[in-house]
Amino acid sequence: MRLTPRTAAAAFLAVGALALSASFLSGCKKAEARKEGELLIGFSSRDLSAEYTAKLSEAVVDYAKTKPGVKLVMVDAQSDVQKQFSQVENFIAQKVDAIILNPCELEASTPAVDRIKAAGIPLVLVNQTTKSVGDSYIGSNDFEAGRIAMEAIAKKLNGQGGVLMLHGIMGTSAQLQREAGAREVFAKYPGLKLVDHQTASWDRAKALAITENWIQAHKGKFSAVFAHNDEMAMGALLALERAQLKKDVYVIGIDAIAQALSAVKEGRLDATVFQDAVGQGKGSVDAALLLAKKQPCPKETMIPFQLITRDNLSQFLK
Amino acid sequence: MPTLDRNLLHRYGLLFVILLVGLGLTLTTDTFLSVANLTNVARQVSINGILAVGVTFVLLTAGVDLSLGSVVALSGVACATFAHPGDHPVFVPIVVGLLTGAACGLVNGVLVTRGGVAPFIVTLGMMTISRGLALIVSGGRPVANMSNELTALAGDFLGIPIPVLCFAGVALAAWFFLRNFRLGRHIYAVGGNENAARAAGVPVERVKLFAYGLCGLLTGLAGVVLAARITTGQPNAGQAYELDAIAAVVIGGTSLAGGVGTITGTLLGVLLIGVINNGLDLLGVSSYYQAVIKGVIIVGAVWLDRRQARS
Repeated sequence: MRLTPRTAAAAFLAVGALALSASFLSGCKKAEARKEGELLIGFSSRDLSAEYTAKLSEAVVDYAKTKPGVKLVMVDAQSDVQKQFSQVENFIAQKVDAIILNPCELEASTPAVDRIKAAGIPLVLVNQTTKSVGDSYIGSNDFEAGRIAMEAIAKKLNGQGGVLMLHGIMGTSAQLQREAGAREVFAKYPGLKLVDHQTASWDRAKALAITENWIQAHKGKFSAVFAHNDEMAMGALLALERAQLKKDVYVIGIDAIAQALSAVKEGRLDATVFQDAVGQGKGSVDAALLLAKKQPCPKETMIPFQLITRDNLSQFLK
Repeated sequence: MPTLDRNLLHRYGLLFVILLVGLGLTLTTDTFLSVANLTNVARQVSINGILAVGVTFVLLTAGVDLSLGSVVALSGVACATFAHPGDHPVFVPIVVGLLTGAACGLVNGVLVTRGGVAPFIVTLGMMTISRGLALIVSGGRPVANMSNELTALAGDFLGIPIPVLCFAGVALAAWFFLRNFRLGRHIYAVGGNENAARAAGVPVERVKLFAYGLCGLLTGLAGVVLAARITTGQPNAGQAYELDAIAAVVIGGTSLAGGVGTITGTLLGVLLIGVINNGLDLLGVSSYYQAVIKGVIIVGAVWLDRRQARS
């Protein structure tokens, strides 16, 4: 087939139309399936391409399926605050019985929360807080995660030594609180020194480059790296392994993603802090159902963090 | 020949800025000027460098490619999918990554030349399409478990990092090609004045298709190198890589209006951005200030360079 402007445009339109009709079909199926007395719950996930969030979202969807008389609709905000805001508006227009929101950001997602509250729809926030509070919050105290990770470093180094810290995206509640938790441990051990810290925006490639630069700048002056998530810990780990320095440096991340767990198993990564994605997912569905049925629901449910090392790894590998 | 003099001045103006930044870093840190660190800089610039060389061709034809970052992610994911240990010989994932990039580039090229759609729009579309495809292919999760043969691409060969060798090879070939091949001169002609080029018998459409296709192929290479470097195919990798690449090319004196620019200029632009990134980390500058300083140096370098070129 010769590609003329017309055939190219036609092919483009055809693909677009196909995608559009597919999404219509799936949308209609949901709308038709809503029966009398059935509870409809809207769930906006922050970003399905982030491994932890994907795990949490899967748990929300799977757990909701086990509940009779409940229909859950999930949408992906792809880390875009504006997109999530429109998704929330769509949920309000559909008059859902409750919304589970996994907000993109602490400050910027606050208007979306306010809009839901103004519409009088029960709201469960999961994994990330906003300036305004919902009817219920299911999360894990990120302050605690930062503290657990730094305590593990302090214990390993006997309270003496240099530490490098890789931040998540600056200003996210996870970054702020994980840092605050770590800072508390620094205050407790005067022998622990924060040699340098920098944001790698939760990104493995960025963490790898920053750690390579740190190896040049601070070689011999640090004996631990604390990364605010496992992706960045994996990046730091690669840089240290390639410079043949890993044996002198303790590396710890947070989240317990699959790759981090297998790295712990292989004895490459020293530790990670387990954030219970499935526990958070289930907890948020339970809270949403209680609220939708106008039953009392705790304002806050904290799912605890746990330190994972090679010693207790087996209980987390399923 | 006045254009030659201008290019020469371009080159020296920028070289001067890089040396100045390098001198500053040598005086303020005791680590910048070491073989280990300079190897480090070279390794870190190679991915942006490969992308910048590719997009130089597109910019020379007065086009633009905004899909680089997403195509890097898609090629990386495609490569990683075929790179599980024991599945295929090591050249298969590499070829898959390269072809994925080339295919995206050719689609861009066809839509720009045959479809007559503005490059900005076509490549903006490709940017979201390829990001989406990367998420679909990978199921939204990083594709891990890559064979050691493939991740060895991020290692060294005779003490030189392989990504650096890739970048150097690509830059050298591109430099030679643009200077000595008829197609190379046609690329300048198309970007300089499309109508005049067409009247002179230059196959404008084919030249543009080549530029986008080559840019795509090199983007695929960058995707493979990145996947090897981070030992996974990350569907969300490469965010905003196109901006760093285009910035490097423009710093290097290539005109966004097309027709003017050199590979040596691009090389220097890439180096400047790399040295700044590395230096700010060595100095321990806070992330907030890093962003501001980087922007100021980039705009300042171009300003100094253009002033020099005019005088």
